[in-house]
This record gives sequence, structure tokens and C-alpha cells, in this order.
Amino acid sequence: MNERTWRIPESVVEDVRAYRGKVEQFLAGEASPVAFRAQRVPMGIYEQRENDTYMVRVRGAGGVFLPDQARRIADLSEQFGSGVLHVTTRQDIQIHRVLVEDTPTVCERLLDVGLSPRGGGGNGVRNVTACPLAGVCADEVFDVAPYAFALTEYLVADRANFNLPRKFKVSLSGCGRDCALSSVADLGFFAHEREGVPGFSVYAGGGMGAQSAVALRVEEFIPAGDIFAVAEAVKRLFDRHGDRTNRNAARLRFVAQRVGEEEFRRLYQGELAQVRRERIAFPQIMREFRVSSSEFQVASSEAPTLNSELQTGSPAYRAWKAGSVRPQKQAGLSLVLLPLALGDVAAPVLRGIADLAAAGDGALRATQDQDLQLRAIPRSRLPWLYARLRALDPGLVAAPTVKSVACAGASTCKLGLCLSRGLAGAVDATLTGQPALLDAPIRISGCPNACGQHPIAPVGFHGAAQRADGKLVPAYTVMVGGRLGEGEAALARSVGKVPAKAVPGLLREFWSAALRERRDGESTNALLDRWGADALRDLARKHGAVPAYQDAPDYYRDWGSAEDFSLAGRGPGECGAGVLDVISLDIGAARQALQEGKLYEATLAAARALLVTRGLEPKKDREVFAAFSEHLIRPRWVSPGAQALVDAALDFRLGDRDSLDDLRDDIRALVARVQELFRSLDSALQFRVGPVEEAPNPPTPFPRREGGAGAEPERRGAEPAPYELDLRGVLCPMNFVRAKLQLEALETGDILDILLDDGEPVRNVPASLAEQGQDVLSVAAEARRGAEPAPYYRVRVRKVV
Amino acid sequence: MTLDNEQIERYSRQILLREVGGKGQEKLLASRVLLVGAGGLGSPAALYLAAAGVGTLGLIDGDRVDRTNLQRQIAHFTPDIGTPKVESAAAKLAALNPGVKIETYTEHATADNILEIAGRYDFVIDGTDNFSAKFLINDACYFAERPFSHAGILRFDGQLLTVLPGRTACYRCLFGGPPPAGAVPSCSQAGVLGSMAGVIGCLQATEALKCLLGAGELLTDRMLIFEALALRFREVKLRRNPRCPLCGENPTITTLVEADPVVCDLREARR
Repeated sequence: MNERTWRIPESVVEDVRAYRGKVEQFLAGEASPVAFRAQRVPMGIYEQRENDTYMVRVRGAGGVFLPDQARRIADLSEQFGSGVLHVTTRQDIQIHRVLVEDTPTVCERLLDVGLSPRGGGGNGVRNVTACPLAGVCADEVFDVAPYAFALTEYLVADRANFNLPRKFKVSLSGCGRDCALSSVADLGFFAHEREGVPGFSVYAGGGMGAQSAVALRVEEFIPAGDIFAVAEAVKRLFDRHGDRTNRNAARLRFVAQRVGEEEFRRLYQGELAQVRRERIAFPQIMREFRVSSSEFQVASSEAPTLNSELQTGSPAYRAWKAGSVRPQKQAGLSLVLLPLALGDVAAPVLRGIADLAAAGDGALRATQDQDLQLRAIPRSRLPWLYARLRALDPGLVAAPTVKSVACAGASTCKLGLCLSRGLAGAVDATLTGQPALLDAPIRISGCPNACGQHPIAPVGFHGAAQRADGKLVPAYTVMVGGRLGEGEAALARSVGKVPAKAVPGLLREFWSAALRERRDGESTNALLDRWGADALRDLARKHGAVPAYQDAPDYYRDWGSAEDFSLAGRGPGECGAGVLDVISLDIGAARQALQEGKLYEATLAAARALLVTRGLEPKKDREVFAAFSEHLIRPRWVSPGAQALVDAALDFRLGDRDSLDDLRDDIRALVARVQELFRSLDSALQFRVGPVEEAPNPPTPFPRREGGAGAEPERRGAEPAPYELDLRGVLCPMNFVRAKLQLEALETGDILDILLDDGEPVRNVPASLAEQGQDVLSVAAEARRGAEPAPYYRVRVRKVV
Repeated sequence: MTLDNEQIERYSRQILLREVGGKGQEKLLASRVLLVGAGGLGSPAALYLAAAGVGTLGLIDGDRVDRTNLQRQIAHFTPDIGTPKVESAAAKLAALNPGVKIETYTEHATADNILEIAGRYDFVIDGTDNFSAKFLINDACYFAERPFSHAGILRFDGQLLTVLPGRTACYRCLFGGPPPAGAVPSCSQAGVLGSMAGVIGCLQATEALKCLLGAGELLTDRMLIFEALALRFREVKLRRNPRCPLCGENPTITTLVEADPVVCDLREARR
């Protein structure tokens, strides 16, 4: 029997201890929220949408939680959080609504039971996942869970692994069916056996989110013991080539996209050769993961109850057995699935489940479908277990035929667009009682990012927004045809967009038509390819219309919300992509109005477009203009001259002005500037172009940044140059290209500081600049500081040509 | 116009060049080049110009793709047989670089259309296969004041000349007018090695890019002659001819007229 899954490395223990100090500094006002955030997020602690409360994401390697660990999580949630835990699609368990001052205690108490949220968030190695059926599945090649533990132990030990260009997701599948989603992971392993040797095929560069991608195969077969070297090599490739300058295109899949498949594999082989030369000491892999507890006995006091509850003949019991109990490859033992509504489980229920785990192998598993599992339940204990589960929470023995998976959505995600979980509830309600149709859940993401995993869904949805009747309407894009499987994975594609309120109706219609249409023995994928995609496209068209507000105000409200849909209060975050859609709609409207000569409407739409990036969504025209003046004109994002235009527009609105025709050129310029600002938005919804300068000089594209996350501007005796360009993480020759373009934007004689990585970049770029006639004034090494990933150089150049 | 990230990446290897840079690239993106003929010379020239990000490419050609074309006209593939050449080529260019705008004219260049069309472009590439067309383009570019690249290929030989009309020697300075019928062998009699089209067409694209960028020295007042069998490039010095009927001191050609098109049956050779 194993008493642990993975061993917490010393460095994590140290970091958890040090974290308390960071929180104290923050609370004492000695550390800025930005600086604190840089410490907090890699600790796996996120700010929730509800201000001043935090979420602690506890990693469960391979989804395994031992009973005392589950009990501790339940206790901490009751004592410091909301009392409801959330199982994620990456097999973590989240404790929600924790006050910041309590987060150190929560982390420390997790440490006591061998758990940590370290790396649960931020730019680093996230939870290492494994097949939900690992260890019990009849089809698996071998149990991959011990590899998930060992990889976690190895990857978590290195602090540098929490400072990668972006997050890095690793998963292991026990066979080609890919229940662990390895085909869309940054690094995915598939178990294989070759001539009796257990091993893996290896895929890299997959991912879901903006520009989802299926992973590329980098190894056909490696012996199992090589996973560490391979993981290290892929991670280094990512570390070296991931684009740190653009968060939106930083994931490993963008490296693959940028350099091409062939080069990607070549880079990987280079890293692997280097890793092998270094002869790194890797952790041991446990030979077998077993937590079977022989001490379990049904207490004699329970025996009578047990007998009276022996309802083995009841339809409810039979339905439960058919729906939630699966045979294991170990004869006589069963796996019991505990369906959770959207991954939520109340603390007392989780504690009860942990107690019941002793009836089986003693451990709990969190699954990618956000459920829990008990395993190794002897057949004789099933009736007893059924009774106990039903007493704990009747939902645990309900056997849903249809199930939806949703991300947390706008209720807790700081930038969720739609209330995905509200829709999931509505979908479940609509389809409950319907015969089974799909062999995979309907996946729903609240925004175009893929936390609800819609890209791999046969049928899925992602949140969007549209404007109708001058208001915002919560909407979903309908996705179809996603699938997993080694070498067969495909991403879902969009077939249309419908208002959120129309989704259940669309699904109901689809369901009945599909049940009629399906041929005997036809698989879900075959049905969707042959008929389903077209049918959903037609249905999306049919259900896509938005009635006028006065006829159906409900269409303007999201599922589970009584208020009109709004994006107000959204801040920068993961789900910014949806906000961009809305801005793009407004700019489109402005341009069209301009073309049609509707100058007032054009001005209004242009003024309104970017306010959502500032968390504002004013309703009345007057408020729109006021907010525009305050948030865009005053900080000079838009030229101060625009104020006159805004005043004129208001005069026109009030009837004090007959026409705006004389201002057509100004309006056109305003629309153009708004569009320029929009195009420069980064993932934090900040403008990358500079504000309009007072002098008649054109705005410079890269004004000197005042120290980023917690960094003080560096002096080192020399005055800072007026312009700075950070090219760390940018490869040769793209760094030189960027430097060149920046210099072109400056005036002759201007001085530019360029930050460059050690090695090739600092060897090449200054030489190339000099060769092309620029004046390289100095090349100085910058000292390594706490948060910096590596030493780098500051190259000072004067523009000559 | 500023370059977006996709463009910076796509064109990075030429932005690196001192003679190009971001400004040069922006210039290319704002430029317009006309290719007269989408055949042997036009194919490689158009592909490289599209790849380099010349913002707008015009293609004028009235022919359809024929099986005998495939040996040297590399913008056309076997399934394109029977398709108008401009459409076949436009599809390849769009696939290569969706950022380039392609304007097609499914007609032959004639005295009626070429002057007006050439006037819409910054540079013209003569990728035609017959003398009457070559003189027509020479004259049209003179009247429209458009720089152009003349070229021709036959057997294992090729020739190339860039003309800045009114400033450097033109095709008529050299030859006055088309040779008499039968004096010059046509492709159908003489044959041509396919890669000749590649060598010379690529040089034409290079001249176009240099001209648009204002980089280096153009191949003006000198004709380049390429002999593939000896693998030798030769140059013949030229001067503007004061007695040139087009750009000389007493010009006799004052309007655009098309010479008798039967002078050379080279076009027939491509069928």
C-alpha cells in the first residue's frame, strides 16, 4: 500500500513558507498588487471575480487524492472558503472564496497532507493529468498514474518551471483512445509496449484556446524511463523558443506554428541530446500504485441498515449500477463514478466520500469530466455503498444520460463572457430523460478560450456576445466535430452563432432529429460527419435570430441572471478574447455608419467601442461620451482635439447643431484612431501604442516602459535611454528584425536600449546593427534578479541611418 | 501603413536586408506590378513577387492552360488544363500569399487595352512570347512612362533588359521593329529548356523588386545574355539610339499600333 502519490520537493516547502511573508508585505502595503500577483499566481492562487476573495487550485497528480488529503481539502474549504469544492477538467480540486490573509494557512495545511497548489496557476507546469481510468481500464497498455506522480515530482522541484513563457500542460494516456486528452496537451504521452518493453509515444505542441491545435508527434516510441528526459527537452524547447513578449501567442503550439513541424522536431532533438549529455538524476517511478486497505469493515451496527437497504432489485439501484458502476480489469472489483453537477461538491459530501473510499482502494480520483471516482469496490459492497452514497447526496447516485461540461464561466472567472454553467444547467434540464445520443459530453466554454474544452467536443459551445437592438445579447458559437484519439484527434469547427437563450431549443431539436437520423451501429463521429454538422448549421441559422428587446427581454439576459447582459466589470484576464469580439462589432458599426453618412452614429459607436476595456458599459449616449472623455481623451489615448467632436456630437443630439457634416474628416480620424488602439490591445486589454503626444511628433510605438511586474527601472549609473525594446525571448533573427523596425520608427540621433538574451542574440544583434551602419554605444550584462529567468544584456544604440 | 506581426514574420528575411527594412517592405506592399503573359516567364516572376509581398499584381493573358505549357510554366498544374491562365496563376499566388491583391485580365494585350492597363501599375514585366507583343509593350510603357523588364528565351538562351522609357535604351533603340516573318525560328521549331523560363523570369522579378525599392543598379543600357549550355552570362552595352523611331530625336511612332501578329508563331508553340 502506498501512502503517498508524489513527494513534495523541498523547494516547494520553502516557497510555501516564504509565501506567508509575501502576503504580509502585501497586506502591510509594502508590495504592490502587481508585485504580489507575481508571487501569488504561480502559487496556484487566483483572484476571483468577486473582489478580495481568492481561489486555491490544488493539484492532484493523475487526479488521485488520498482520503486524508480529500478530508483536509474539505475542512479547509469549510473553515476558510465557501464550503463548496470544485473539481476541474485538469483533475485539480479548487477551494473557493478564501480571503487573501488565509491563503498562507491553507497552503501550509495542505502541505501537511502532501498536497500543494504550487504551479496551479501562472506560467509554468500545471497539473500533470492521467487517464481517469488509469489502473483499472481493460484497454490500457499499463497504468500511467505512477508516471504522472513521478513527472510531477520531477517538474515541480525546479523553480524555473514556474517561470516559463506561458503555461505548460502535461498529460498521459493509457491507450490510443486518449481519455486523458493528450492529443491536445503541450506535452502528451500515450502508453505503448514494444517487444515487452513499456514505453510511450510522445506528442508536443497541442492545446486548446486561442488557435487550438492538435499536438505533433515527436517520438514514436521511448522506453518508459525516458519520460523525464523527454519532458525536460520539450520544456526547454518551450522555455527557449516560446514568445515571452506576446502572452497571446506564447504557448508551445505557437512555437510549432512559427518554426514549422520539421524545425520543431529538430529543435526538440537538439534539446534532448543536450539533456542526455547532462545526465540529470531523475526520480524513481513507483512500480505499482496501490492503496488497497484491508482494514475496511462494515461496522456491525450498520449491518441491519445494510440489510434493510438491500434494494438490489429496485429499478433505481439497477439504473445506478448500469450507469455509474463499471467493471475493472481486476476481477470482482468495480469502479463507481460519482457524478458531480458541474464539478461542484459540498465539503461534507467530499468528506463523506473520502470515508467511503476505504470500502475500495482508499483513494479518490478526479476526472477530466469533473466527476469523482471510487475504485476497487468488491461486488458484495455495492448495495451498501449505494445506500451510503444516496444518504450522503442523492445526486451521487443519479445516473444522468446526458451531461455537459462547462468552465467556471463569468460567475467566477474574472473575464468570462457568458454564464456557461447556467447554460449547462439549462442544457442538462432540457436533455434529461432523453435517450443517449453522443458518447461524449456537450462541452461549454463561457468565452472563446477553451476552459470548457469545446474544441474536442462532438458538439460544443463557446460564449460570445452580439449586439441587437442597441443592446448586448449573450450568445454562443456552435461547434461540431471535435474528437480525441492518438493520430485521429480533430478540432471542432464553428457552424454558427445563436443567442444563449436559443441553445436548449436548438439542442432539443437536434436531439430528436439525430435519434431519427442515426443508422444502426453508427458512431457519433460518423453521424456528425455525415449529417450532424450540416444539420447543426441549419439549426443555428434557424435559431440565430434575436427578437426585439421589448418583445423578448429574456434574450438579453444570460442563463441564471435576472439582469440585462453586460460586460461591465470585466477586467483583463484569460477570457479577453470575447471582449474583443464586441469591440470589433462596435468598430464595424462605426465604419459602416461613416460610410452611410450617419455621422452621429459613427461618433457614438467609435466612442463606445473601447470603453469595455476599461470595465465600463454606459447605456445612454451622454454617458458614453462622458466616459470616453474621461477614459480615452483625458489620458490622451485619443487626441485632445476629439473633445470638440464629442461636444459637437452632444450638441447635435440636443438639437443645438444641425449637422456634423463639417466634422466628417475628424470623425473619420477618430474611427481610425479607435481602430488603431483596438489593434494594439494586448491580452491584459492594455494599449500597446503610446498615447498621443503633445508635440506635433507622431506617437512612438514603444515608449519606455516603467518597470513591469514588480521590477524597478534599472539605473546602473547610466541614465535610462528614452526608448527601450525588450527582445528577451525573441529568437535570431527575429530579434534583429524587431530592433531594425524600431530604429526605423525613431529619428536619427535617437538612442534606443535593447534587452537581449545571452548567447546567440547578444553575439549577433549588436554586430548586425553595426554592420548596417547604426552606432552601438554599449553592450552591458544585466545582473540576474529574483524574477528574471536568465541573465540578459542591455545594448544601447544610436540611430545613424 | 505599419506592418502587423504576421507580416513582420513573413517578410523577416528581407526586412533584415539593409536595402529593404520595414520601410522598403511597406513600399513593396504599396506597389503594383503588371505581368503581361502568365506563361513561362510570368509564372516564376509572379510567384516571387507575390512571395515578396508586392501588394498588387496584375495578370493579363488570354490563353488557357495547355498540356504543352506544363513543361515550363510553373504556376500551372496538370489539373488546370483548360483553365484560363490568369485564373490558374491567380489561385496559386493567392495560396502563396493571401495578403497580395491579384487583378486579372482574361484577354491578350492589344493596342486597345494595354496602354490604359499598364498605366495603372508601377512596373511592367514583359513575359510574352512574340515580337509584336514585345514591341507593343515597349511602346505602351514609353507612352505610359512605366519602367519595364523585357526578356526572351529560346532553346538554351535567354536575354534580359530593363528599360526606363525616355531615359535608357528601349527595345526599339536596338531593333527598330519586328524581324520579317520566318527570319527567327519559333519555339515550336526551336524548342526551349523549361528551366530557362525560371532563370530569366526570376531575374525579371529581381529587377522589378530593385526598381520598386530603389536599390542597386538596374539592368539598363546593357542587355544581359544568358547561355545555358556554356553556363555563361554576357553583357552587351547599349546606348539610346537618336534615330529610334519611338524615343529618338525624330520619332515616327506617335501612337500605339500593333504590328502584324503573324510575324512570329511562338505563341503557337505553347499550344
